Amino acid sequence: MHITEGVAPASVAAAGALLTAGGVAMGLRAMKDEQIPRAALMSAAIFAASLVIRLPLGPSSVHPVLNGLAGLLLGWAAVPAFLVALFLEALLFQFGGITTLGLNTITMAAPAVVCYAIFNRPLRRCRQKNTAFLLGMAAGVTALLLSFALWAAVLVLSGKSLIVIVKLALIPHLAITAMEGLFTGFVVSFLFKVYPGVFDLPLTREGGVAP
Amino acid sequence: MSDNQPLLRLSGVSFRHAHAAPILNDINLALHPGERVGLMGAIGSGKTTLLHLIVGLLTPHSGQIDILDKPRREERDFWEVRERVGLLFQDPDDQLFCATVQEDVAFGPLNQGKCREEAHQAVHKALALVGMDGLEDRITHHLSGGEKRLVSLATLLAMEPDVLLLDEPENGLDPPSYERIRSLLLSLPQAMIIVSHNAAFLQTVTTRRLRLVEGKVAGAEP
Amino acid sequence: MSCTTHFAGHTVIHRLDPRPRIVATLLFAVFIALDNPYPVLATGLGVGIVLAMLARLPARPLARRLLHINLFMALLFLTLPTTTPGEPAFSIFSLPFSRVGLHLAAMITLKANAIVLAFTALLGTVELSALGHALQHLRVPDRLIHLFLFTLRYLDVIHHAYEDLLRAMKARGFRPRMDLHTYRSYGSLMAMLLVRSLERAERVMDAMKCRGFKGRFLTYRPFDFHRRDAVFCLVATIVLCLCASLRWALPGGPQ
Repeated sequence: MHITEGVAPASVAAAGALLTAGGVAMGLRAMKDEQIPRAALMSAAIFAASLVIRLPLGPSSVHPVLNGLAGLLLGWAAVPAFLVALFLEALLFQFGGITTLGLNTITMAAPAVVCYAIFNRPLRRCRQKNTAFLLGMAAGVTALLLSFALWAAVLVLSGKSLIVIVKLALIPHLAITAMEGLFTGFVVSFLFKVYPGVFDLPLTREGGVAP
Repeated sequence: MSDNQPLLRLSGVSFRHAHAAPILNDINLALHPGERVGLMGAIGSGKTTLLHLIVGLLTPHSGQIDILDKPRREERDFWEVRERVGLLFQDPDDQLFCATVQEDVAFGPLNQGKCREEAHQAVHKALALVGMDGLEDRITHHLSGGEKRLVSLATLLAMEPDVLLLDEPENGLDPPSYERIRSLLLSLPQAMIIVSHNAAFLQTVTTRRLRLVEGKVAGAEP
Repeated sequence: MSCTTHFAGHTVIHRLDPRPRIVATLLFAVFIALDNPYPVLATGLGVGIVLAMLARLPARPLARRLLHINLFMALLFLTLPTTTPGEPAFSIFSLPFSRVGLHLAAMITLKANAIVLAFTALLGTVELSALGHALQHLRVPDRLIHLFLFTLRYLDVIHHAYEDLLRAMKARGFRPRMDLHTYRSYGSLMAMLLVRSLERAERVMDAMKCRGFKGRFLTYRPFDFHRRDAVFCLVATIVLCLCASLRWALPGGPQ
């Protein structure tokens, strides 16, 4: 679901880059130097998993996107984290691209931040594993639907005729969204059980170093 | 500082995690210049915890820690300690967090306030000391296990410490790397505490050996 | 096995200072991504091909990357001409392919290939952490650079942890199927990976404190700017100026 090099006209790509710059600034401000290792290790785990885990789906399999999960765990820091991950993907695998880096970051990271805003607080208050599962699932589904909407919006803004690509992608995307929801639900409920404090981390302003 | 004054002294130090049984119970230990003390004990007997207490990564529940003639209690007290007492971690992947060998070894000297040129020289000196000169530009995660251990040691030596705390420095090494670490430790002037499960290793590199049993230092080993 | 390797080599491109390469790639990519007449795009593609040849990019991995991009382009060639209204260029099985649609698909294909070739040749050949430090020299915020460098450092470590966990699951008879058990198992695998990463982050933080970290990162890698880099800057400027003048001189370009 990356936006490929050359598809977006300059104005759309520039808008994406500007929005990303703003989001990255917010994300970097929310992070202290001593929190960088933690944010990087979490985002590396999420990035690695999204590349190597293959969830069976019908005759084929899909990679999880994990932007809902990233939002729950990283908050605003998800924006710089996705910028880094997508830059690496463009360099290493030529997914996405350099001129569409801003657009791809927004498509992935804006839904992550929305998920953080909606679901992080209820998750920290929640006391039941099943509720945690449902909240995780809701985050996974919300993030992917929003990502799809943003992706579609970028394509339509780039050229009305590209709407046919959106239509072609809709049904497979809904299937992927269902998988993502289940998967995120399971990850969140498992974390809830073994490491409940993990959802407080985006809010912790102090790291291990005393002032 | 006279020679009979210990570099570090633990007096009645106890430690436990919240709501758990004590891991270390009334530990008394002193390390003098030139000493290389071996520390043995079962897994979970508190060897690593002891090293972490000395550099202030953990705070004792009771007792006193004196290092370099000063009592050390708060995080700030330990800033100086960490520049003069180097801790080698069990897993070199935790210790080597920079992209290249050069940057990793330079990290400590730069934090000590050295300028780039001084840090550069400290890197060369430390790498030469462990026999790894010429590897400055290697990518840390491409190093072999033995190389990682030696570079980890160089990151400590670059800060020119008075004391080294080594957590299983020989563990998981192939025979040539093992031999290299062993002779390197024998050649270094620093006082050391070496944690290991390998009695033969400690026998050849340390001047005296202690065993941790049920949270206490249980006398000298032969 | 490492998943963070660049296209290593010893060509003239590899020897260049990464900083001017970054700037040149960005300017080139942004320029090509603008609306351009065909001759400019063809020149851009030519530049990309020349750069790829100079960097001696290995054929197989490069072909895989280009295939990946051009499969999507093939989809565009099938869909855009058949759905965009306009004068038909030709028709297959009475399905008209419009001229406008073909034009659109061709433009995107040329742009994408030109940019990907230049990007891979100039930046795909830089060792990744050196790329991070070069970006630091170009005033990218320090925290972003450190986030990049730490992510890079631990990607392989985490990948190994994943493989260990998966092997342990398979040793106990786990086989991925399309059922809830599979999703639940992968979910706990992912969660374990996160927990391990967080624990490692604690230890890394401890290791940093032990080496005198007091809340501010100090890392630095110097780069040398040689005469060949000055030559590269000159050539890049000339090529970009030529492309730009071609764009404005040709009919169909912006007036």
